[in-house]
This record gives sequence, structure tokens and C-alpha cells, in this order.
Amino acid sequence: MTANDKNCSNEEIKVRVTYSKTCQARYIAHLDTIDVICKALRRLQLPYSVTQGCHVRPKISFGAPLPLGHASYCEYFVLSLNKPVDASWLQESLNREFPHGMTVLQVEIPFSDKKTANIGEQLSYRFIFSESSTADDSMQYLLDENTMFSVERKGQTRDYQIKHAVIAVRKIEHAGNPALEAEFIQGQADVPSVSKIVTALAAHLGDRKDHLRLIERISLCELTQKTGDSC
Amino acid sequence: MKNVIEALSHWELLEIEKPARYLGGEVNQAPLKENPELRVCLVFPDLYELGMSNLAIKIFYESLNARPNIQAERAFAPWPDFENILRRKNLPLYGLESGMPLKDFDAIFVTLPYEMTFTNVLNILDLAGIPLTWKDRTAGPLVIAGGPSASNPLPVARFMDAVMIGDGEEAILELCDRLLEAKRAKASISETRKSLLNVEGVWVPQFPAAVRRRVYKGFADSEPPLKPVIPNVQAIHNRAPLEIFRGCMKGCRFCNAGYYYRPKRERPVQDLVSYATRLLQNTGEESLGLLSLSTSDYCRLDELIRGLDKEKLYPEQSVSIPSMRMNENTIALLDSTPHIRKGGLTFAPEAGTQRLRNVINKNVTEDDIISVMKATGGSDYRTVKLYFMMGLPFETDTDLEGIVDLVYRLEDIGRQTKPRKQISISLSGFVPKPFTPFQWAEQADIAELRRKRIIVCRGLDSSKSRVSWREEYLCLLESVLSRGDERIGELIEAAFKNGCKFDGWHEHFSREKWEAAFVQTGIQPADYLKSRPVSAPLPWDFIDFQVPRAFLEKEYQLAAQAAEGDQS
Repeated sequence: MTANDKNCSNEEIKVRVTYSKTCQARYIAHLDTIDVICKALRRLQLPYSVTQGCHVRPKISFGAPLPLGHASYCEYFVLSLNKPVDASWLQESLNREFPHGMTVLQVEIPFSDKKTANIGEQLSYRFIFSESSTADDSMQYLLDENTMFSVERKGQTRDYQIKHAVIAVRKIEHAGNPALEAEFIQGQADVPSVSKIVTALAAHLGDRKDHLRLIERISLCELTQKTGDSC
Repeated sequence: MKNVIEALSHWELLEIEKPARYLGGEVNQAPLKENPELRVCLVFPDLYELGMSNLAIKIFYESLNARPNIQAERAFAPWPDFENILRRKNLPLYGLESGMPLKDFDAIFVTLPYEMTFTNVLNILDLAGIPLTWKDRTAGPLVIAGGPSASNPLPVARFMDAVMIGDGEEAILELCDRLLEAKRAKASISETRKSLLNVEGVWVPQFPAAVRRRVYKGFADSEPPLKPVIPNVQAIHNRAPLEIFRGCMKGCRFCNAGYYYRPKRERPVQDLVSYATRLLQNTGEESLGLLSLSTSDYCRLDELIRGLDKEKLYPEQSVSIPSMRMNENTIALLDSTPHIRKGGLTFAPEAGTQRLRNVINKNVTEDDIISVMKATGGSDYRTVKLYFMMGLPFETDTDLEGIVDLVYRLEDIGRQTKPRKQISISLSGFVPKPFTPFQWAEQADIAELRRKRIIVCRGLDSSKSRVSWREEYLCLLESVLSRGDERIGELIEAAFKNGCKFDGWHEHFSREKWEAAFVQTGIQPADYLKSRPVSAPLPWDFIDFQVPRAFLEKEYQLAAQAAEGDQS
């Protein structure tokens, strides 16, 4: 089966691939991740659809960029195929072709990609610490309604209130380490992104930021106009 | 310490640009073997993105890791942001595959692609905790260099346990065999160095002796690297590289590579088509790069391109041809296939007049140049980049004005084509290189190179072409480093201790630090820049380059005759 196979129908089949990005793969930047994935698709010679125009590319769309260094168990891309493939074959094959730290968790074929107005995202994160007291301090920082931070960009300073983004935080134990589970909203006006919140938290912790050893994105749900809370 | 990578915290990795450069874990990375008998690290003394595009690293990585008892890893020069972290935490530089410190390997193979990486080599050794000079090393890994900039090994002799001169494919495996034997016999470092002497092409500074440049005679029938590591950070050349032939017999009199890689050895078309298929299947690269010193000189290029077109694996697959001569083959190539990547075209006329092109033996006529420029008219190429040298032997100001005239004529042609062509001009000072007919020639000094550059730039004042040039001091320095003797090692060490590194990078190059190193060592650049009498011995005469000295002398005379003949 190759992408050049002429015996394909005109109808495109959408495939959603959900994958994790952990270990050293979490330091692969977003554009490099796209490159890594496109090369994996070519190595598999998948019957993917391509874009029109003079520089032909696979028809593929990606989720919002994952901040560098954040691990994730809910990254995804949506690919258009012009021939059906077996979901479990695709999952196994992609796992053979991905670099260490990237693993396909789920393949949905066909994937129904109904376009609805996106009004933001709800994200679930896990923060793993080496020191319980730092986890406590971080929880207090995230839950404090008065927590504010500033971000400078292009010579302009913008203030954010953390309470607009944080839905819930709770302390847990994860693999023997103190950890926080946190729910956030992002992608809405005046709501800081999780990436900005984590940067602000690190600044708040100062030297103790090394106690925050791992930042993991556990789930991501798109909030749509229709449902308000599609999660 | 077993794995240095584990000692780096999340926040430290976020302090640096592109942390994936330093973490390994790429697709096609060689799996770690259990207790390999020999551990070697392939070191490229520049950034990951450049090193991952280097063909020598790919060739050696595959051939060494194919041996069941050898583990080969990779290491690259860390950018100063990462170096700061390593130094701050007192962590050594390490191999990307295992995170093992370089000093725990049995050997470090350093490829030297250009002279401006010499200080990076010292920085890497220093970061690894390996003594800089071979005399100071009594244990630990052997440091062995190779590559075009080691063709005259004297400037780096101070730092190397051995230097490979010429093609490395066979030599590196034989070196590993000697290293294995020495390791089994628990030989001293000195005995180990001595054992390397019987590998053809290997020169050992502790036991200096005559040496013959190694030529890989089996190249044409050999399999190129077909499963290279796919970088996790986009490499400078984002393509699957396929070396279609090695060597060039055109005999350009300034070109070290033209002599270093002799003779010309072409891989057969059918083999190349098959290799290309496997290479693309294993890499998924969008573009296949047909590599050689001058790809349009491959004798069956048209057949090769057609063969590759037939075997297309995926719709966006394209061919990139990074090195083309301005001749009829190139014109045919431009017309042959729509799948050649239409980025920009790069050519190197090198000189502005036919007289000077004859002097340097650049076998390109003005008609060729004009024809190629016209032939680009029907193509999608939008940019044409032209390389010229200044300060060539027997050059006059008329030759520099010739560059200006030629550029204006080419602009006229470019204006008449659709799409219009944007021309960019790259000017560089000529640097005489060892083992070329111009090895005896004078290097123009900074003031003279600047004067020449001003002639060209002023002449192109009303031109629409973009003009860039290489800083004159870099040309001077490259000349000292490439035609140097053993004393130049002291200069390199002094420059490194003054803080020089990444000398090929504009943002890091420090002329002041190099000038201070000249003062500290008492080395006069002028001693290395002047012309040398053909009758006098050269420091690198102990190397049999498989190009007779008499031939180079004759070529130098022919250049002089070409200069005089056309002037009359």
C-alpha cells in the first residue's frame, strides 16, 4: 500500500491519532514534532491525502502546541487518508516509527471532525514534586484568588489573575512522590495559558523550582460554543 | 557518573535553546549493546544541526555500530548556553546514546570539516575533562582526527593521538581493530598509539613518519549509509543524503577537496536508485540530496533522475542537487524533471574574467554562464546565488571589474525571465590550501582583500543583486590554520584559552582574542601568508597525497603561463 496507489476513492477518511510525549521527547519543539511525525508517515508510505499547490504536503492538522518540556498524554493530530487502514495496524506501525518518548495511545478511524466554534480548552495537569512543602506552597499559589503575575512581551507588560484559569487543585501522591492535580481553562480572553502559569509558579518558587520535577498534561478538552463544556 | 543526562533538571533544560540537541533518543539511533568490547564516540565539533547533516558521521556511525563488539555514539559541540550549564554543574560532555562521559570511551573520533572548528575541538576535550595535548594524556580515550581540514595534520598534531588522512571508511575499522587488540593486551597509551602506525593513512604525532593518503578503492561498490539517525531538531540540510560519486577530476587549482577526494569514483545508476528507495523508506525525508563535489558531472545523471522519478515512494518526494557546475548537463537537468526541489540555484564561477578562470582552471566559459542563466528562464527557480573569490593568484583589478560586468549581464538576463531572478553574490577571499597547485601562493592580506572587495562592491552600487562577503580576517586566519606547521597548535590552544570557540559563527568570532593569541605565542601571521618558493620544502611534504608534487608544480606553472599568455 503506497501513497501513490491510484486505486483510491475520492472520499477522504479522517483519522485522529492521540499520542503521548514523555521522557526526552517532551523537549522536541512543536515544529520539530510536526517534522518527526510527517517523516514517520512517509516511512510507512501511508495513503495520505496531500495539499494542493506547488509545495505538496500531507493533509494533516495538529492540536495546539504543547509547551516545551511539558509531558503530555493527550497530544493529537488528524490525518486525511484516501484509503482505509486498520486502526491497530496503524497504531503499532506508528509506534515503531516514533522516536523514544512518543507513543500512540489511540487511533480513531473514521474520525468525525465536526467544525464547531472553539471557545477555549479545559486541561488537566499533574505536577510532580520532590518536596511535599513545595507542593503545598504551589497549591496555595494556584488556589489563592489574589495571585497575580505580569508577563512582558514586545515591551508591554500585561497583568494576569490566576483565578480566571484555575478550576481546581488537589494534592495527591504519585508513584511515591508528592504531586498536584490541577484543572485549568485556557484560550479565553484575559485567561493566562498554563504555560504562563507554570512560568509564574517557577518564578514564585525561586530556587525551590527544582523540586517541581515533572509537568504532565493529562487531558485536554476543547470547549465549544454549543456545549460550553464539552468535556 | 553513568548517565550525565539524568543529572540535568527540567528547569536547566528550559534555560537553553533547543534542548533536544543534547538528549538523543532519535529514530534510527543505534541501540545500546550490552558490554561492548570497544566504546567509541564520533565527535563533530560544531552544533548538532550541522553535525547531523555531516555525511562522515553517518557513514562511520552505521559501519561501526554494525560491528557486534563496538558501540559508537555521537557528540556535538554544545552551544554556549548548554556549555554554561555543564560548567556550572561541573558535568562532563557525554555521548548522546548512553549519556556516558566522553572520557570513559576508548576512543574519540573527531571529524574536522573546516578549520574554524579547531577551537571547538579543544573546548570539547576540556568539557570532557580530557587533557588537551597528547603529551598530557597517559590514560583515557585516544583522540583521533580526520576530515578535509586534517589533510595537513600539523596544526592539530599537538592535540591528537593519531590523524587519519584521506578516506576513512576502511581506516576507521582497522583503527578499531588495533584499539581492540591493544585493549585486550592492556597496552599502554604509547604502545596503543604505536600500533596505529600500521594502518594505512594514519599519522601518529608521537611517532612521526611518512604517511600515504588513504583512498577507498571500493567506494563505487560500497553501500552508503541507508539508515541514518533522524534528528529531533531540524538539521541544516533537511534531506536524505546519497553520495553518488566521490572525487572530482576537473582540477580546479584552488580546490583542496578536488585533490583530497581523488580519484573520481561513481556509484552505478541501478545501485543508486535502489539505495535511494531504501534510504527514503528508512528516513521519510521529503527530499533526496544527490551529493558529490559537482553532481552535474555524474556521467549518467539524466538516467539517474529518470530512475528516481519512476521509483517515487510518496507524492511530495523531491530531489535536491546542492552542487552544480555551469555547463550543458545542468541545463539539461533543469529541463528534465519537475520533481527537482526548486529552491535556489547556486553556482560558483569563482572569477569574473575568462583569463582568471583559465588561471584557476575553472573549466567554465562565459558562454556557459550566460547559457545556464538563460536556461533558468523557463524554470521555477527564483534565486540564483553566485560565488566569487578575490585575491586569487595572478589576479588583477581588471578581473575584479570582470565580476561586476558579469553580474550586470546576468541581471539583464534575469530581468527578462519569468519569474524574475533574484541574484545574490557571495564574495570570499581566496585561501591557499595544502596539496593544491596554489599551495605556494601568497595569501592577500586584509588591506588588499578589503581594497578588492571595495572595487567589486562599488562597481555593484547600482546593482539590484544582494552582495555579501566573508570577513577578511577570517580568510587570513583560515590561511594560517590550513598551511600551518606544528607551532600553530600553540596558537590554537592560546586562542581557546582566550575564550575562542564557534569561530565560524559571526556572533561568537572574536578577532581580538585571536590577535591576542598571536601576540602571546609570538607567531607572526605574515610568516604563513607569504608565497613560498616552489623549490623549498613544505611542512606537509611527509604526506604522500597520491598527487605527485611535480604535478602540482606543473599546474602552478600552467597557471602562471595562463596568466601571462592572456595578458599579452
